[in-house]
Amino acid sequence: MKILVAVKQVAALDEDFEIRADGRDVEADFLIRDLNEWDDFSLEEAVKIKEAATEPVEVVAVSVGPEEVDESLRKCLAKGADRAVRIWDAAIEGSDSIAIARVLAGAARREAPDLLFAGVQSSDQSYASTGIAVAGLLGWPHAAVVSALSYSPGAKTAVLRRELEGGLLHEIEIQCPAVLTIQLGINTPRYASLRSIKQAAAKPIEVLSLADVGLNAGDVGEAGSLSRVRRMYIPERGRAQLIEGDAAAQAARLAEIIREFKGASV
Amino acid sequence: MSIPVSRTDAVTRILFEAFGKGEVRLFYAIGYAAIAVFIYGAYAQVRKYRRGAALKLDGGLWKRLGDMLSAVLSHRTIDRRDRAAGGAHRLIFYGFMLLFAGTATITLEYDILEPLFGIRFWYGEFYLVFSLVLDVAGVALIAGLLYMMYRRGWMRLPKLDYARPDRVPGDPDFNRPQYRREDWAFLWILLIIGVTGYVLEAARLVWLQDRADIWDTRWWSPVGAAMADGLRALGLSAHAGGVLRHGLWWFHGLIALALIALIPFTKVKHIFTAAASLMVRDPLAAQRLPRVPESQVEAGAAKITDFNWKQLLNLDACTKCGRCHEACPARAVGAPLSPRDVILSLREFAKATLESGVVPEAAELDIHGKGPGQVAMETLWSCRTCMACVEICPVAVEHVPIIVQMRRKLVEDGAMDPLLTKTLQTIHKTGNSFGESKRKRGSWSKALPFPVKDARKEPVDVLWFVGDYASFDPRNQKVSQLFATLLREAGVDFGILYDGESNAGNDVRRVGEEGLYEVLATANVNALASASFKSIVTTDPHSFNTIRNEYPDFGGKYEIQHYTTLLKQSFAEGRLRVTNPLKYRVTFHDPCHLGRFNKGYEAPRELLALLGCELVEMGRCRANSFCCGAGGGRIWVPDPVGAEKPAQNRIKEAAAIPGLEVYVVSCPKDLTMFEDAVKTTGNEGKFVVKELIELVREATVARNVEAVSA
Amino acid sequence: MSGILVIAEQRRGELRPISLELVGAAIGLKRPGEEVAVAILSDSPDRLVAPLSVAGVDEIVTVKTAAPEFDPDVFESAVGALIAARAPDIVLAAHSVDSFGYAAALAARLGLGFATDVFNVQRIDGELVATRGGYGQKVNVEVDFPGRATVLLCVRGNVFKAPEQSASPRVTPFEAPPVESRSKGREFIELSAGDDVDMTAAEFILTIGRGIGEESKVPQFRELADAVGATLGCSRPIADAGWLPKSRQVGQSGKTASACKLYIAMGVSGAIQHLAGMKHVGTIVAVNTDAEASIFGVAKYGIVGDIFEVADELRKLF
Repeated sequence: MKILVAVKQVAALDEDFEIRADGRDVEADFLIRDLNEWDDFSLEEAVKIKEAATEPVEVVAVSVGPEEVDESLRKCLAKGADRAVRIWDAAIEGSDSIAIARVLAGAARREAPDLLFAGVQSSDQSYASTGIAVAGLLGWPHAAVVSALSYSPGAKTAVLRRELEGGLLHEIEIQCPAVLTIQLGINTPRYASLRSIKQAAAKPIEVLSLADVGLNAGDVGEAGSLSRVRRMYIPERGRAQLIEGDAAAQAARLAEIIREFKGASV
Repeated sequence: MSIPVSRTDAVTRILFEAFGKGEVRLFYAIGYAAIAVFIYGAYAQVRKYRRGAALKLDGGLWKRLGDMLSAVLSHRTIDRRDRAAGGAHRLIFYGFMLLFAGTATITLEYDILEPLFGIRFWYGEFYLVFSLVLDVAGVALIAGLLYMMYRRGWMRLPKLDYARPDRVPGDPDFNRPQYRREDWAFLWILLIIGVTGYVLEAARLVWLQDRADIWDTRWWSPVGAAMADGLRALGLSAHAGGVLRHGLWWFHGLIALALIALIPFTKVKHIFTAAASLMVRDPLAAQRLPRVPESQVEAGAAKITDFNWKQLLNLDACTKCGRCHEACPARAVGAPLSPRDVILSLREFAKATLESGVVPEAAELDIHGKGPGQVAMETLWSCRTCMACVEICPVAVEHVPIIVQMRRKLVEDGAMDPLLTKTLQTIHKTGNSFGESKRKRGSWSKALPFPVKDARKEPVDVLWFVGDYASFDPRNQKVSQLFATLLREAGVDFGILYDGESNAGNDVRRVGEEGLYEVLATANVNALASASFKSIVTTDPHSFNTIRNEYPDFGGKYEIQHYTTLLKQSFAEGRLRVTNPLKYRVTFHDPCHLGRFNKGYEAPRELLALLGCELVEMGRCRANSFCCGAGGGRIWVPDPVGAEKPAQNRIKEAAAIPGLEVYVVSCPKDLTMFEDAVKTTGNEGKFVVKELIELVREATVARNVEAVSA
Repeated sequence: MSGILVIAEQRRGELRPISLELVGAAIGLKRPGEEVAVAILSDSPDRLVAPLSVAGVDEIVTVKTAAPEFDPDVFESAVGALIAARAPDIVLAAHSVDSFGYAAALAARLGLGFATDVFNVQRIDGELVATRGGYGQKVNVEVDFPGRATVLLCVRGNVFKAPEQSASPRVTPFEAPPVESRSKGREFIELSAGDDVDMTAAEFILTIGRGIGEESKVPQFRELADAVGATLGCSRPIADAGWLPKSRQVGQSGKTASACKLYIAMGVSGAIQHLAGMKHVGTIVAVNTDAEASIFGVAKYGIVGDIFEVADELRKLF
């Protein structure tokens, strides 16, 4: 039984970042890369299923990106993934989440897993689309924002809960194989010590080309995307009126605001 | 056997006098049997140690032997913080040693020299002086034992209380009555051997009262002689004395032989294990932790056999003296940690698993958990790695490396507080525990009216390794600014690494994240390699410790000092001058990593004296300084709600000093912890916490400048 | 044809407010001669015609589904059929949990122009341009859809204004093709277990976030909330860590603090999911040590300082 976990190495902005000259992205120097927070949870969910299973379960981490992404894949290997796969081609540059989904779907066809996990969204671009787009391309059953999952390897269905707005959960039963996008808080991700990450370097990361996943350049990049970035800019921030002074003075003004509010609502 | 000669100058004691041949043979048989049991027992113990991991000791064997003999013979480690115990143990030790040497001397002549070479020496004056010395030794032994009995039975010393914080009632090893039984059994057996020795001596004298050479020289055995007179006065006849002597001889002999046989199986073995432990000590055990060899797959100690032979020996050396239990700051505030009980648990575990012919399966060697002999997570995570335990242990048990090695396993398993996990991840990502961007590391210097050199770009004399807290914590940033000002005034050519500096890693290592430590140490060593400087100064004792003691293992060897020595030097060379003597009544808190770890007790005190402060020491000062509680990663982990924190305990100690104005610290974590503790113990307004740097600045500010700003 | 198709959302028989916000957005994009149609999928869609009858809606398309609740296969198929039949220029859906479940799959299969979490839509030189956030909402990104006949946009809630006036649009039933659903809805579960607090009714909320550092600090803020008369709430990380029950979570996935008028956020950085839950609040006061925290962009008043010191001082005044 195999679970494929799609992960993303996201980029966070460093202090005092600058927009690139072409105005369509941030200068690469100011990007700090790390594994997407949601992916810690989806990987952990897969490894939990593996550890609880009586039959062998293989957990494979897959990601789309250049060599620097290997660092995040190594973290996945350290956290319990058995294998890691990375797909890259210069043509993939400039892909939106749907083009990336195309590549991931190609990898999924190659791997033929029984379950495919992705995070609900990435902490950098927050499309919340990639996982479900893969499902659409594969034609698989899918559910998004999974906050609880009950699945025994090899079973024909899984029972899960979707975390809806406003503190409501929706329990559903879904046919498998399925694509599930996993929500934060579904489990407690384990810590991967640096030593284990270093040792995971001994496990190979399979690097695939577009051809390996049955795609060509026209399927990815801007040509394969459903949207195009025209401009990226730093927005005018609506600014809060700052209350100055030391803690006592600030608290005093805050107390005033509270009393005003209470007075008004009486 | 010699023919008795009735002359004073040939006076001696005839061994086995009036014993039948069969009796003597029986005695020798029992003797050999006892020795055989001893040898087997010793073999089983050594086999146990050898079942641990390998370890190569550095330093010459002779030097180690010499150091050990010096420590043992002087008893200086037992004197520490308990002069009375030191004194009493000296009496027991020397008494016992002399008595043992006496017996050995007799055996030497009787069993070896005389039968083989016909040499005799144990007679006449030698014999008489010998008898006197041994009588005195016996008195010393008994006096020491009686004091120890009084100490254990009546003094109710807290450190001898076997109640343990790492178990709850209901746990199988919550109560350890066998310890108390063994303690008393040992004392009583020795006492009985000692006392019966005298009674035996007295009985013999009564029996042989008609032999002039013996009876006339009896006062060379004063105790025996006095007792003999007493026995005679009670009506004991010579014949009865002989019978008494015969019976007591066997009684005394059998008990002594039993004791010898039992040495390897009881606490009596501390005679050997304590000495051996002292011989293999590492004076930098807690300051310089061992690396995990690349080839080792699992980091850390998961099984009892993951400890090396020295650590297994350490476990057996422990004499349950309780000094570490008393010194531990975690134990003092009720945390489920006693260094003593970690060692004793592991000792019981090693005993249960490694002393039989076959070593059990790996699954049964797991030392983590709450079962008998195991150590729980909560216990290991309570440790502040302040090394108070290691420092005070009279038999050189090295608790801290044992705890850290067990933590390494917990880290591998991710078995730690989620906040600690987060902090480690943050440090990995940003190189500091605050989660701030690397680029902001030197931002504290922007507030200064002068630029601080970037040591990566231009050569400097002194490279100042600032540290996380001094770079990012607002309160400590002010101290950093003052220190920069002082350096400038003292004409020191200095620079910092700005964002080339990462967390030095001291606490990351002590948490057990060795992989992350290696990343940090390597990064810092590389950054330092790219800079050009003569020496390093640091305001952070944790960084000081790891750079000084541990970075050499990573290719970074530097001349490094803590700011207190640099400032002291500046004053001595006249580059800084006290223009505004401070008349404060102060107390000084020795930071663990500067004081106990690196013996840096004097420089801060000399500075305080230079500044004109009146220093009143706290009871727990210098080597016995009481940790603020931030070490071992604990500053990143919440303290249990409601429990006293070590810093609060310490502030209460300071608050007892009448008229105290300033509580002086010289470590950024101390500053943070104690300022908080002053508030939460209700001492705000009574005295303030100040960094020594702040006092130095105050004292060196020119008077007219002060007047202008007032 | 053309026109704008809005996909309304309902849950448990009630129309979700974002549906009308989408209408508001559609109205802003409507070109002369263009129509705005709103599709409603439900097992009894006619019941939701009335709330959808607002000014700006030209047509309500009712799609009767077998199951009462959201089903990804049903929605993907039905919305796909609607798009095929009506060929709208723009399809507006909510950027919501239900949408997460099908929109991207539909867009990928049909090759629609696609963008999510859009908070501004406009036409520049005739081109449709959507604005969304990037790099953790620290930058804005304008995207367009060259060569795409139909564009599907998932629009962020609490941004566009719902029309207030009612109207009488025509109602057209739409027969969605039968579809084999591969998932089965079972039940809804309310996260009200905990301490019976009703965040939805609270007018004054004091929320604590990651900035409080450790669980042992929670009682201090609970006490403060009591003292000032606020209901204690928390951000997602606090609830996930178990320091407070989920029922106290405010934010997109937590209880919507719909009645809240005064909101004090202490140690909350302002992740977008949290802000989504309280953007509508009249007065937001943010207390945080980080002057750059996103929440200061949304709050009315800001205090840059140590939350514990401010909390202590505030406590003294009540």
